[in-house]
Amino acid sequence: MKTPPLPYQDTKAVGAADFYFAINATFRFILKQLGHDGLRQYWTDLGARYFAPVTARWKADGLAAVAEYLRAFFAAEPGAQVEVRQSPNEVTVEVNVCPAIRHLRAHGREIVPCFCDHCQVIGNAMAAPAGLRLEIEGGNGSCRQRFVRC
Amino acid sequence: MLGCYDFCGHYEWTFEWLRRRGGESLLRQYWEEAIHRDSQRHAAALIAAKGIEGMKEYWGHTLTEEKAGWFCTSTEAVFRMDMHECPSKGFLLRNGLQQYHDYCDHCMGWIGPMLKECGWIVDHQHNHGGQCWWELRRHDDPAPASQPGQLSGLHDVRLRADWKRSAPLDTYVHTNDPDDKTIS
Repeated sequence: MKTPPLPYQDTKAVGAADFYFAINATFRFILKQLGHDGLRQYWTDLGARYFAPVTARWKADGLAAVAEYLRAFFAAEPGAQVEVRQSPNEVTVEVNVCPAIRHLRAHGREIVPCFCDHCQVIGNAMAAPAGLRLEIEGGNGSCRQRFVRC
Repeated sequence: MLGCYDFCGHYEWTFEWLRRRGGESLLRQYWEEAIHRDSQRHAAALIAAKGIEGMKEYWGHTLTEEKAGWFCTSTEAVFRMDMHECPSKGFLLRNGLQQYHDYCDHCMGWIGPMLKECGWIVDHQHNHGGQCWWELRRHDDPAPASQPGQLSGLHDVRLRADWKRSAPLDTYVHTNDPDDKTIS
C-alpha cells in the first residue's frame, strides 16, 4: 500500500484557517521571550524533529517525494493558490497566494515582521539531511520556493 | 511552511519545546499571552460583550470549523459543552503524537484565565481520550456542577460507556486556575 504523502492524517480534508492566528502568535511570543536566535532555533528544531518523517521520505524517494509532499501540503491549506513543478534537478513552488498571510490580513492580525523567515528556516532544516536546499524569492503573501540538489 | 492542517501536531510539539526551554511556567505564560491574549483574543471580546450568546458564537464557529463532535446546552445561568470527539486530541491519538505529558491542559491554560477576565467560572473534566465537559457560570454563582444527564440529557459525555477510561480523569471545580485540578 502506498504511504500517504503527508505524515500526519486528519479526518478533514482541509485545516481550520484560524489556526494561522495561533502560529503567528506563537512566533511573536517566542520572539519576545527568547529573541531572534531563540525563534530560529525553534524553527530549526521543528524542521529537524517534528518534520523528520517528511525528510525521511525525501531522502528515500528524492525530488518526486518533495513534489508529492508539497502538492498534498498546499491542497490541505485553506485558500492556498500554488503551482508545484518538478524538473530533474529541482522542485519549484510558485506560491501565488500564501494561505497564512491571506488569512491573517483578512482578519486584521498584526503579522510578525519575520513571519516569512519560518519557511526558509524550517524548509532548510527539513531539506538538508535529504541533500537539498531551499531557496526563496519574494514573500509577504507570494513567493517562489525552489528545492534544489546541493 | 508551517500549516494549519496538522496544527495540533506542531502545537503539542511546541508545548514540550517551551517546557524544556523555560519550564512549566514558560508554557503557562505561552497559553496566557500567545493563545488567550493574542491568537484567541476574539473569544474574550465575544464573551465579555455577549455572555452566553458570545460563548455560543465563539465555540459554535471554532468547533464547527474543526469538525468537532460536540453538543452544547445553555440556560440563562450556565453554558455547558459536551465534547464527544475532540478534534485536536483525536488528531494526536490517531497519529500517535505525544511530546508533552498532558496536551489537554492547554484548554484550561487559556480558557480559564480568559473566562476569569470576563467574569465566568469553570467546572470541567477531561478523560484524555478526546472527551470532556465544561460548565461555565457567572463568577458569583455558587451552584455546583450538574449531575450526569441533568443538563444535557443523553448528550452528557459522562453517560458514555467509555467515559471512565484507564487514563486518569482530571477534574476542575469552580475555578479559573489551570493548575487547580484533581487527578483521579
